[in-house]
Amino acid sequence: MLKRVIVGALIVAVLAWAVWRLSAPERAGAPLPARPDSMSTGLRAARLFFAAPSGDSLVSESRDLPESGTLHERVASLIAELVRGPRGTAVGLLPPGTLLLHVYLDDRGLMTLDLSSEFLSGFRGGSTAEGLTIASLVRTLSANVTETRRLQIVCAGEPIPTLGGHLPLDRPLDVQDW
Amino acid sequence: MRAPIAAAALALLLAAPPAPHGPRVAHVPERAPGPDSAPVRNLGDERLIGANDLARLLDATKFWRGDVRKLELRVHSHRVLLTADNPYVIVDESTVRLPSPVRSLGGELHAPIALIDSLPGDSTVNRLAYDPRGDQVVVLPPGGMVGTPRLIVGEGVTRLVIPADRPQDAAVVARARAHFRLRFAGYFAGVLPDSTRQRPLTGIHLLPAVSGTVLELALSSEAQGFRLVRDVAAKKVTLEFSRVAGEAWESFAPEGPPGPRALRIVVLDPGHGGADAGVTAEGVVEKSLALELAKRLKGEIEHRLHARVFLTREDDRTLDVQQRAEAANRARADVVLSLHFDGGPGTPDGGASALCAPADVGSTAGQLGGMGPGAIVMLPWRDVASRHAVESRALAEAVLSSLELRGMGPTHLIERLPYPLLGVNAPGLLLECATLDSPRDRERVTHDDGLTALARAIVDGLDAYRRND
Repeated sequence: MLKRVIVGALIVAVLAWAVWRLSAPERAGAPLPARPDSMSTGLRAARLFFAAPSGDSLVSESRDLPESGTLHERVASLIAELVRGPRGTAVGLLPPGTLLLHVYLDDRGLMTLDLSSEFLSGFRGGSTAEGLTIASLVRTLSANVTETRRLQIVCAGEPIPTLGGHLPLDRPLDVQDW
Repeated sequence: MRAPIAAAALALLLAAPPAPHGPRVAHVPERAPGPDSAPVRNLGDERLIGANDLARLLDATKFWRGDVRKLELRVHSHRVLLTADNPYVIVDESTVRLPSPVRSLGGELHAPIALIDSLPGDSTVNRLAYDPRGDQVVVLPPGGMVGTPRLIVGEGVTRLVIPADRPQDAAVVARARAHFRLRFAGYFAGVLPDSTRQRPLTGIHLLPAVSGTVLELALSSEAQGFRLVRDVAAKKVTLEFSRVAGEAWESFAPEGPPGPRALRIVVLDPGHGGADAGVTAEGVVEKSLALELAKRLKGEIEHRLHARVFLTREDDRTLDVQQRAEAANRARADVVLSLHFDGGPGTPDGGASALCAPADVGSTAGQLGGMGPGAIVMLPWRDVASRHAVESRALAEAVLSSLELRGMGPTHLIERLPYPLLGVNAPGLLLECATLDSPRDRERVTHDDGLTALARAIVDGLDAYRRND
């Protein structure tokens, strides 16, 4: 008799546990994280501009990047990819360690890009390199943030008169000119 | 008695006007040792080349068989067999019939120059061509050959078709109507007309160049736009001129007033300095090289152009852009040259480039954006160099063209107001004289002779700008 009671109690306990496990999401209130899959993450093709191997022009490369919600995330991932460099024979232009600190885009299409100090300290010189570096930024950002009409580059929160002493950066750059 | 006479003579001497400038130094760029060549011997209607010359041009080994009067030339795996008094020649496994027989003249075999068209065409054999201008056979450079231009006049568009082995190397290097220049890498073995009356083309001639070919065209104001079409498959370059401007056409350089330009005071601005080294490549530092070049340029300009020259820095110091501008403006410069040496990513070909303030198509000298003389234009002082955009562009083209003719190209003109010219109230440009990341350029400019040659080439450009002819 006692044996039957114990077995019955065990069965009830197991059933109760199973019911509890199955109903846990409804009871707990906090949803379980969705299992990651490509349908929910979202990838977006981005166009990145690097220097041609001959060093006299730009070439573009298409790369899938995770879709980002905010402007800062979008631009930060573009900058990170430019720093990471090309996958083919093209040549990267942004100095290593360059990071996006802040970005603003006003309703007239003026983007202010605040880059870390490595952008300035890591630049090795030459007007060709300087022109290509600026063009790489302008074209990449205008191609992927299409609201951009003009670009103002600052460094660590401060305006910079020039990157390497050949081209002025004290004024916003018109994307049409690059 | 003698003392007053001597004093009077001395006074006369001192009062005499300065001697006129010496004969204008033509400073035609010295051609590099020209292509290997051999004269053609004319025998009636026949044009012949000596077998010894042919062997030399082909770098061939000769084997003579006197018993059968045959001469064999061997070049790597190829052979050419000539037989005296016989128009048939063996080239490798083929028999070629020439328009006239191989002749024995003065104990040496001579072959008709038509033979050179039947020679093997692979890279182990020097490529030869007949140059009618010099009546000679030449060894073509890697750039190949440029042939006789042909003019085609149509309604609204005039075309100049130029055969070229490497159309992809053709480039426009000067865009002024009076001095429109087209550069090729190949050797010009064609013929140019003595004159042309087919407007808008009013003249065409060959410019002396260290390597390659530079054709200079003179165009009338009827030409409103141009376009360069390179047809690699057909081995030709077509330069088209339109009488109507439009988006499909490139514009010519804006033109200033004719006549010589003032060049009494030149300011040279050696780039970077002090804490700012500029480009460094294999131990060569831009700031030092720029200063050395400026010092040489100063001597050359003073000697040849008789202009006063000021340097914004004469030692290794840091200067900001305001200090450079103040120095140039205080000197009342007629021209400002900011001297730099370039560096770039990848493996650059080298060459020179110039940055100058952009000139609108409608601009003329001393004006902005096509506004008429006397118009009042408000301009931030930062952009004052834009007043001189037309002259700056002419200066850039003259200097770059001079570098190009001396084999210091390829050259590029970039119309962007350069940072060192902010606040400079004079025509000027930033000149990247060579590319330090290019081993060829670096070797050239770090040699004493190379830097002097560079200085002379720049002065030739300044002189051309001053003469404006």
